[in-house]
Amino acid sequence: MFYIRLFATYLRIGILGELEYRANFWISLVQSALDLCVALGGLAVVFNHTDTLGGWRQEELLALVGVYFLIGGLIRTIIRPSMTKFMDDVRQGTLDFTLTKPADSQVLVSIQSIEIWRLVDVLIALPVLGIALLRLGARLGLLDTAVFAVTLLSGALIIYSFWLMLSTCAFWFVKVENIQVIFMSMWQAGRWPVSIYPAWLRAVLTFLVPVAFATTVPASAVSGRITDASLVGTVALAVAMLLVSRWFWRVGIRFYSGASA
Amino acid sequence: MEQNPVIHIDRLTKVYTVNERDAGLIAAMRSLVKRKTRDVNAVDAISFSVAEGEIVGFLGPNGAGKTTTLKMLSGLLHPTGGRATVLGYRPWERNRDYLRRMTLVMGQRNQLLWDIPVVDTFELHRAVYRIPEAQYRPAVEELTELLELESLLQKPTRNLSLGERMKCEIATALLHRPSVLFLDEPTIGLDVTMQRRIRRFITDYNQRTGATVLLTSHYMADVEALCKRVIVIHHGKLLYDGELTGLADRVAPFKTVEVKLQNGLNDRPLAQYGELIAQSEGRITLRIPKDDTASVTGRLLAELDVADLTVQDPPIEDVIEHVFSQSPDPSVAPDSQHANGD
Repeated sequence: MFYIRLFATYLRIGILGELEYRANFWISLVQSALDLCVALGGLAVVFNHTDTLGGWRQEELLALVGVYFLIGGLIRTIIRPSMTKFMDDVRQGTLDFTLTKPADSQVLVSIQSIEIWRLVDVLIALPVLGIALLRLGARLGLLDTAVFAVTLLSGALIIYSFWLMLSTCAFWFVKVENIQVIFMSMWQAGRWPVSIYPAWLRAVLTFLVPVAFATTVPASAVSGRITDASLVGTVALAVAMLLVSRWFWRVGIRFYSGASA
Repeated sequence: MEQNPVIHIDRLTKVYTVNERDAGLIAAMRSLVKRKTRDVNAVDAISFSVAEGEIVGFLGPNGAGKTTTLKMLSGLLHPTGGRATVLGYRPWERNRDYLRRMTLVMGQRNQLLWDIPVVDTFELHRAVYRIPEAQYRPAVEELTELLELESLLQKPTRNLSLGERMKCEIATALLHRPSVLFLDEPTIGLDVTMQRRIRRFITDYNQRTGATVLLTSHYMADVEALCKRVIVIHHGKLLYDGELTGLADRVAPFKTVEVKLQNGLNDRPLAQYGELIAQSEGRITLRIPKDDTASVTGRLLAELDVADLTVQDPPIEDVIEHVFSQSPDPSVAPDSQHANGD
């Protein structure tokens, strides 16, 4: 309850802060619209030549685009700005203020900066996802929808934990901003189902940078191609990564305060 | 101190391991593989206690270990050795109840959110510290009045001047009414008027709430106005702990004698009276060992045409400077060097 209220406060501050820079809204809107056009244009081109891509039909790939924008929007709205601020705080020493607050430092760090205009991606994702689900509708039961929601949540948590672990490295190396850039370019690959990529790239996108779990897996849940094993695996991975990233965060904090010395 | 000190530290020690390398590219490459490290005693077995409601000045030159000590007391750093309790808590355990009762202000660092009005940073603090409405409103009103924030609260932080920002920083840090304040150079970079206002505010807050304050500053005016008691550290070691007025007696037992002569200096050999520290148009300033003050002034009055003569304690800046220039550097012990493969 406390953390929900805290989140609401940060959200409010995010809105206030961004209202100062209204031009940002229009830039975000144009950027997101362009991204969507590129994504949908890509689909159109592909399906001009073939009916399926790596076994995926058009509306299934549309669902994938929706998932890609939804999770991408959450990353850009909360995760990326908060983690960027965290790294700045480590470098400038202002993290000390966060650590002297009577609240969980990981939570504070993870929600501390919200770029509200980036929610445009989420707003775009919802109708795309809606249309895809409607087109798939006949074959989509209640159970499938629940599985979809679970995989979506798991995917978001996996991405969050992964990003938190990358950012935590800032305690040792101070400057790790470039990792974010690398991640965002890997993320682009999540626009297509990982099954279309060569095996080595598929492995990278699944195990090294867990993009597949946040995009391909939820999308395969709505298209009914998810296996029980990969459902269980995704949920288990989400829980495991959440725990590991939490543990790693604590190690980082302990290092920062010199407990290891 | 008296019963149950608020801050009690006992042989508190912090050793940093710092990387060392020689200048040059080759040395830099070598350090990627094998690092030479050196241990630095940032804080070396310091002990002191602070009673409730005291304002204590924590003095020392840059790098003396003041900030390291404050960071340990505010729970940011684990000590390498020794013990410390503040309000009965061990700070570095970062107990939430402890964190809610203390605050840390760092004059060189900013926690106000840059783009939004100050009052919204206040709101964030209210949420983080879970300050109930009934406590929050009066706190904001009181701080607004004492620090004259009325016209500032609605402005975004980036539009504030340095002094205005510092006032708001302090207000933010005190919204939850902490009973222990760690102020690390709260007046740095501010003009004299603003420094004075902040000083007056610290006194007010201390008197109203009975809060305990540990403060570092490079401005002696801050220390003289606020602190009856000072703790001086240098190279991580405690040099002095006691009344500010006693510091001069203890470490710099000198008096400053200013003499105005009627007929100019006339090339008299002045060095025989004491150390000449200033001289201008018939006015000289001498530093005289305290015990000789009476005899030297007697001789000055008898042997020179004195128009005016004043005897003063040396300015506190001089005393501090004297302390720091005299003590040797104990932290660089030759045997603390060792090579260490990373």
